[in-house]
Amino acid sequence: MPDAELTLLQNYLVVGAIVFAIGMVGFLARRNVIVMFLSAEMMLQGVSLTLVALSRYHNDWGGQMLVIFIITVAACEAAIALALVLMIVRRAGKLDIAFWQLTREENQPPFVDVEIPEPAYRDRTWPHLTPAGIEPAKDPDALAHRPRV
Amino acid sequence: MTAGLLAQIDSAVAAAAEEPAFGSAAAVLRSPLLWASVLFAIGLWLSLPRGTYRGRTLGHVITIAAVGVFAWQLPALVGWLDRGLFACLAVVTILSCVGAVTARNPVYCAIWFGLALLGTAGLFLLIGAQFLSVATVTVYAGAILVTFLFVIMLAQPRGHAFYDRMSWEAFLSAAAGAVLVGLLTAAIQQGVAPLREAAAPVAAVAPVDREDGALHGILAEEHVAQLAQELVGRHLVAIQAAGALMLAALVGAVAIIAYGRQSEDASVELAQRPLVRTAGEPAIVSPQQPEQPPPREAPGRIHA
Repeated sequence: MPDAELTLLQNYLVVGAIVFAIGMVGFLARRNVIVMFLSAEMMLQGVSLTLVALSRYHNDWGGQMLVIFIITVAACEAAIALALVLMIVRRAGKLDIAFWQLTREENQPPFVDVEIPEPAYRDRTWPHLTPAGIEPAKDPDALAHRPRV
Repeated sequence: MTAGLLAQIDSAVAAAAEEPAFGSAAAVLRSPLLWASVLFAIGLWLSLPRGTYRGRTLGHVITIAAVGVFAWQLPALVGWLDRGLFACLAVVTILSCVGAVTARNPVYCAIWFGLALLGTAGLFLLIGAQFLSVATVTVYAGAILVTFLFVIMLAQPRGHAFYDRMSWEAFLSAAAGAVLVGLLTAAIQQGVAPLREAAAPVAAVAPVDREDGALHGILAEEHVAQLAQELVGRHLVAIQAAGALMLAALVGAVAIIAYGRQSEDASVELAQRPLVRTAGEPAIVSPQQPEQPPPREAPGRIHA
């Protein structure tokens, strides 16, 4: 039934559009360089969904070919981008893209962190203390115990 | 609403557009798409890292509600199995994407993205692109995502930092995303509506077209064989170009790391040289000169 194919096309196109938009929001909003790049990859996934849907609707292999090349190019892009990210981290010391604000346009005001949010109670990490003292004698029975045979 | 949209398309095609493209303002305000986009914006804004965890659960609930309104707008697939599978996979994909974008810890972002890739692979499988679904899982989730995790481990080994808890302009980004989603969905609906009304069905998959009754085209049984035939037969130059691109990317990534380290060592060495030259010192200190042993201060002193 042609209507079923059209319905399938419409569903997939909308899902692809939503995934693309979420990727765009992530790219615009996040400050971590790696998460920004991850959102760019998400945009590529949205486009892949659109291409595969149109390939099915028009019964043409071209869409799937393009998705194969999208996967290839995404892999190359990930390799180079992550090498550059490592260089950036070596220079800046952190993954924050606000460190590189000098690359902004000339008439843009700088983005200054007015207040730095405290880590939440649930994200607290305990410091690692080196163990001190005399190591207790090991019990041979406890060493030989296997809870599951 | 469909008849109104069709009339709009006809009038826009026939004459200069004096009427708005998407219908009157009242119709736009009453459309569920607008409210779904608004809910999507509010939900994403609440879920994005804004320095506090307050409102995050509410943001997730509102995002799910927005996705539900989008799903309510879409026509349902034929058959309960198709409908159920598509609903599960689409919901998993979209919610994993939201999780990937809003998680505080970048490792969690990568893992949510892995789940989104699995959902996308399932959607590919459902539509008949079997090779692409396996290629997505193997190459994307198996290689690219693992590379991401390695780089996160190397670059940020201590969990999440203060900049992971903040966003640039969370509300504007969410609003821009919602505008994009609303416009794209409206454009898709407008594009599909005249095709639905058309008398003759457009180029859908013709199920029985060969003598032995097998499917042809992209739903053929020998899917990978047909795909390979198409790829190597019609896109051979593109394959060679992709191979050259991969070689260039490989060499480039290694060169960036190697020469980056070398130039950084050189710059560190330059920084350590004295700026002002004192008398008697040569202008350029060659690094290859072996260091002179210190002269003996007094006779009889034993050097260890």
